[in-house]
Amino acid sequence: MSNFDAIVVGGGINGLVAGAVLGRKGKKVCIIERADRFGGMASYAVDGGPSLAHALYNLSPRALKDAGIDVDRATFTGQQIDTVSLADDGNHIVFKANGVYWNDGSQHPQSKAWCELIQRFKTYGGLLRQLAEAPPPGGHSASLSRARLAEMLRLAKVGIGLKMLGKSEMRRFLQVVLSNVYDIVLDDLPDGPVAGMLAADAIRGAATGPRSPGTVFNLIYRLGHGGTITQPTGGMTAVVDTLVDGAKAADCTLLPGTEVSRILVDLDAVTGVQTADGQTLRAPLVLSNLASPLTSQLTGPSLFDIEATRRIRNIRARGTAAKVNLRLKDASPLPGLKSEQKDARLIYAPSADYVEAAFNPAKYREMSKAPVIEALRTEQPDGSHWVSAIVQYAPSDLDGGWTQEAQDRLAQITVDTLDCALPGLREQITDTQVITPDQIATATGAPGGHWHHAEMSLDQLLTLRPANGISRYAFGPKGLFLCGAATHPGGDVMGLAGRNAALMALEVQK
Amino acid sequence: MALESRYDAIVAGAGHNGLTAAAYMARAGMNVLVVEKNGWIGGAAVSRSLHEGWTYSNCSYVCSLLRREIARDLDLPKYGLQVIPYEGGASFTRDGDHFAYYSDHNALRREMARHSARDADAYRAYSQAIMRQCRFIRPFLLRDAPDPASLRPRDLGELAYLVKKAHGLGSRELGETLKFWTMSIGDFLDEHFENGLIKAHLAGSGIIGTGLGVYSPGTAYVLLHHYMGDIDGGIGAWGFARGGMGAISNAIAASFKDHGGTIHTGAGVEKILSKDGRVQGVALEDGKVFYAPVVASNMDIKRTIQHHVDTTDLPHDFTKAVNNFKIRGSSAKLNISLDQFPDFPAAPEHTSFLRGDMHVSESLFELERAYDDWKDGRWSEKPYIDMLIPSQIDPTMAPTGAHMMTVFVQYAPYDLNVDGTRSADNWTDAQRNAMADTVLNQISVACPDIRDRVVHMEVRSPLEIEREVGLTEGNIFQGELTFDQLFFNRPVPGWSQYSLPIKGLYLCGSSAHPGGGVMGAPGANAARAILRHETRHGRMKGYAA
Amino acid sequence: MSIFVDPKLGLIPSPFHASLAEQNRAHSWYDWAGYAAPSVLDSMEFEYFALRNQSSLFDISPMHKYRIAGPDAAQMLNRLVTRDIRKIKTGRVGYAVWCDEEGMVIDDGTLFHLGDDDWRLCCQEPMLTWLLDAAWGFDVVVKDETHDVAGLSLQGPTSFAVLEAAGLDVAHLKPFDLVKIEPDLMISRTGFTGDLGYELWCAWDKAEALWDRIWQAGTHQGLRAIGYDALNIARIEAGFLTAGVDFQPVHATERLHRGQTPFELGLGWLVDFEKGHFNGRRALLSKQHAQRSLLLRCDVEGFKPAQGALIYNGRKREVGHITSGIWSPTAKKNVALAHVRMPDAQRASRLMAEIYTLEEGKWDTRMARLTPVQGAFFAPPRARATPPART
Repeated sequence: MSNFDAIVVGGGINGLVAGAVLGRKGKKVCIIERADRFGGMASYAVDGGPSLAHALYNLSPRALKDAGIDVDRATFTGQQIDTVSLADDGNHIVFKANGVYWNDGSQHPQSKAWCELIQRFKTYGGLLRQLAEAPPPGGHSASLSRARLAEMLRLAKVGIGLKMLGKSEMRRFLQVVLSNVYDIVLDDLPDGPVAGMLAADAIRGAATGPRSPGTVFNLIYRLGHGGTITQPTGGMTAVVDTLVDGAKAADCTLLPGTEVSRILVDLDAVTGVQTADGQTLRAPLVLSNLASPLTSQLTGPSLFDIEATRRIRNIRARGTAAKVNLRLKDASPLPGLKSEQKDARLIYAPSADYVEAAFNPAKYREMSKAPVIEALRTEQPDGSHWVSAIVQYAPSDLDGGWTQEAQDRLAQITVDTLDCALPGLREQITDTQVITPDQIATATGAPGGHWHHAEMSLDQLLTLRPANGISRYAFGPKGLFLCGAATHPGGDVMGLAGRNAALMALEVQK
Repeated sequence: MALESRYDAIVAGAGHNGLTAAAYMARAGMNVLVVEKNGWIGGAAVSRSLHEGWTYSNCSYVCSLLRREIARDLDLPKYGLQVIPYEGGASFTRDGDHFAYYSDHNALRREMARHSARDADAYRAYSQAIMRQCRFIRPFLLRDAPDPASLRPRDLGELAYLVKKAHGLGSRELGETLKFWTMSIGDFLDEHFENGLIKAHLAGSGIIGTGLGVYSPGTAYVLLHHYMGDIDGGIGAWGFARGGMGAISNAIAASFKDHGGTIHTGAGVEKILSKDGRVQGVALEDGKVFYAPVVASNMDIKRTIQHHVDTTDLPHDFTKAVNNFKIRGSSAKLNISLDQFPDFPAAPEHTSFLRGDMHVSESLFELERAYDDWKDGRWSEKPYIDMLIPSQIDPTMAPTGAHMMTVFVQYAPYDLNVDGTRSADNWTDAQRNAMADTVLNQISVACPDIRDRVVHMEVRSPLEIEREVGLTEGNIFQGELTFDQLFFNRPVPGWSQYSLPIKGLYLCGSSAHPGGGVMGAPGANAARAILRHETRHGRMKGYAA
Repeated sequence: MSIFVDPKLGLIPSPFHASLAEQNRAHSWYDWAGYAAPSVLDSMEFEYFALRNQSSLFDISPMHKYRIAGPDAAQMLNRLVTRDIRKIKTGRVGYAVWCDEEGMVIDDGTLFHLGDDDWRLCCQEPMLTWLLDAAWGFDVVVKDETHDVAGLSLQGPTSFAVLEAAGLDVAHLKPFDLVKIEPDLMISRTGFTGDLGYELWCAWDKAEALWDRIWQAGTHQGLRAIGYDALNIARIEAGFLTAGVDFQPVHATERLHRGQTPFELGLGWLVDFEKGHFNGRRALLSKQHAQRSLLLRCDVEGFKPAQGALIYNGRKREVGHITSGIWSPTAKKNVALAHVRMPDAQRASRLMAEIYTLEEGKWDTRMARLTPVQGAFFAPPRARATPPART
């Protein structure tokens, strides 16, 4: 039997950050991971193929700093990449930090409008980041406690930030943030690949289409840390390794390959965990990186109120993004792309209408016949070359299930779609891997294989995330906290949920 | 009454909201003129006889939202208004079954249990959640929406009222409220019920009049918008205005005229005249010009600003926001004269639910697919229909023994897609008839003999509704009821309190807070704003003050 | 025939309806969970005295009944209700309340421990969805038996003798015992009157036979069928609460903050904080000593029943209202259950009820002093004697 101050169940990005943050505050921490490797969804990969996540765009410097990790490490700064929107006629469009260009380098007519939109969203994103970097408002602590004052101050800061926008922009913000990306984008742009790219970025990983109210928020969320997209040096594995090093540096005990079978509770207070191999680890604090239904099962349903149980069962988490990895026969560039575009992020989303139409079948548990794709060319440590593609929509609850036939069909659709825009790609492919949302769910425990463990819709954000009444990370018995992507402010390779949960746990334990 | 050339205020459009605003102003002693483009009044709250012996509620067809405060302030019963609740509703299925929504709660529970025992039990929690939201929202309907960017005492006061109300909910209920307001009706129903037919029946109110599907976030609010009315205090109850919906407009008009008001019909507003940023009056299509320091437009914000106002001096942000205001035609209407009562083979004998709203949608997916058709610019292959036969209750609507049927149809696009081209011009007679045929097929799920019963039929595509009533794209709410267009965002941020950037010009229709439906609240609220800003005594009297 | 005759509307018959209809000379029915239930059969007064002096039959079939069975049944129920149900042995019945997450009472009811891992919950409010939600994660099956199980309440001093005459020996049954006395019949020594009495439970389709059997056995015991009005007097005398009258079940409230904690209802003795978590425990821990109001049992000055009266402290300040008030014919007292807000509930000496009276066309009001009392207004020893007396 070992004794700790805190145990983190699940060594994904958020679990590692939570452990490191606690460790740096002098807590004796143990991080337990079922798989042999840490990293959870971020670094999940099969047979040497590319990992699920393939780029960084909103990894939080604040989370890294609190976890004691050098923000400027090469891993994170990596290589900033452009985005290329693929066109069937070969007339691709390149999105750079300073504007939109045609393939031939000339400026796209919608460049200015796009820049203005992005700039506006970044401003909004900066405002919302302040909310992301703290627990959601609505604590019950006494009215004059320090924590309460800090919260008031933070909200006041957001309020002042809003006021600083000026009356007109503030009003616009309050409208835009509630709106749908389809309307907001098409208000300023004609429909086409530029609008399509924004629509695609707004729905990535989500079970929603661009016309659904609330989707602008998702786009702002992606841009909350400045909007740069980075391919980390050494890939996601290196990112995870860095976080593991951070946890180790904070004196965390790491237990990979260990499954927690039970979270132990004595009269409404957590006492530790039991592992599948029979160990009992004691701690008055347990942070669960797992989804709330799984956490409640491990703890025992008796420990939670019936309403809370009902709410967590109603959390919507339908994964709709599948990973299709296409192995290339060699290092030769992708057909139809210029050499400076070889590492770019490729988007297939010819218009906002296209993205919405792609979503339609997913509503009825079918896969898109004309999918939205984000693809990156990567080289794996073994020297193999791949196109790593995120394909939407491929719902986790596919009608008929994800049979081999269904997986083959998805691979076929993906290759067909990309081959239209990159003619000749098909001939370069030697092998395909399909990772469906239900596989992701099984392998990582993420409900529905959803990227954020829970849909990022307005009714599941802030004080409603992951569900009403449990948004401040505390969950059921004393000492039990949620720290995964389903909690505020959500997932992606970001780390804030883990960091916020750890700080909240420390505050409550005080 | 002889027309004068100068009035204290002119209202452009004799819809129920325009008339309401006018009636309040007249009661406050103002000399008010209402101008209307059609030869009749009522806008979308209108009764017309297009086939001798039968009366149609041509557009809006049932009543619940009309605020009791307004009916009382304007003494509408004295001017002939009678509203009678109807008795339930039903959804019919293609395999000959049905779900009956009895107003008798015991009968309703038994009927639900016939489909799902669990759902029969769950209905209570569902209605409790909805009723709590109704209780929360109702006090806001006759108040101004505060401008969150403003520091004026009035805005701060309204904001404080909002905060107080929200705080009074307690944190848990506040969370439930925020969730309800932002979720889809499909998700909300899925959380409560398991039976597809029950869900489909209840979901209709979440989409009526909008360009959203049952799984679009925000549609739970749309449902609330249809439930927050009442009949004699029975929250969520719906009924018929005796004599059709025109009876409401006629009663308001009579109340208005009785207080010295004037209505000029048959010539619409050509231009709202202004000079140096101040409204001057209106010039009509027939060449007449009337002057007044106040003009209240009952037209929607887009029509008002884009077609009838000189926009050169208006702030760019404002006109851009108006241009981007979403006002989408999504519904059509059939009004049918029947030679006798049609046959409903699936209905039990002597059932009461035929005297209610009837539908033929069987699942949420079916409703969502109907929305997908609309996004593509087609009318739904299996449209949602809201069908009633008011002549069972209202003896004035059809000859004895004969009946009148009103059928609301969703979805039908404004810019119809024909061979890849989307345009309102595609609404030819042939297309309109083809749509009517689709709707008759849907109706025949409930009454197979419908085609044999038809004596006369009025088919209204979104284009007809736009042309006749003046609602842009035929949108029944004068603008989508999405959260980016509600409360302080309605119609556009910064202009949610009825005044517009031209001094003396006000908006009094459903484009303004709290939005569409035959509610009268935008009209009353606009009158309150006008009296406060434009008159010396300042205050409106009555329950809506 | 007019179209305005919908056979689907209205109330439906209970399993004892034929017998009750035959006796219902007052033609007075009320809506009990959708069933036509008698308010009065011939005269409320004589029905009441039969209950307190001889014996009475009251149909309780409309009560909601849920079977909860499976290996985790006890665990699931212990998370549901506030008391420790592990203390209710097999063959026993326990009174319980259950709360929402904020510690507000959802309903009260009786838990029948039928056998190993086999329970029945009997209550006033529909509870299926709630029980299904409560069962999530547990190995139990929840079944709604409301329309399968008929119930008949036999109450009064001669009720034991009636059963004896019907050939049913329940001499050994102590209060809150239950016994499956015949394959199709279960009897529990329970009731809502505070008197000697039994509740008989059988299959819905066996109900009429059961009625006839008891009815014939009661010929010489003064057995009388009664309606709710008579029962209501008896239950107020016993100090029992009725859902929707003396407390507002929180799932049946549209208005916010109308719920009450068990402590506010005087049911704190049913809350066991030591047994582990149960629904609402965390909220109740913090609300335990912060009651907003109290449900008081009061002796009312004068003779006018105080039903519905507002309560004032010092004649001016309104501090509550009477939820149930009657003249007790057996205790010879004017009694009432009252909601009084804190802290006035603890400064009871100045509480006055403002009672409205209508006498021969004239409304009047009088102020009556309220004196809180502990326990039931009427609690005869015969209710607890085992074996029970025959008279």
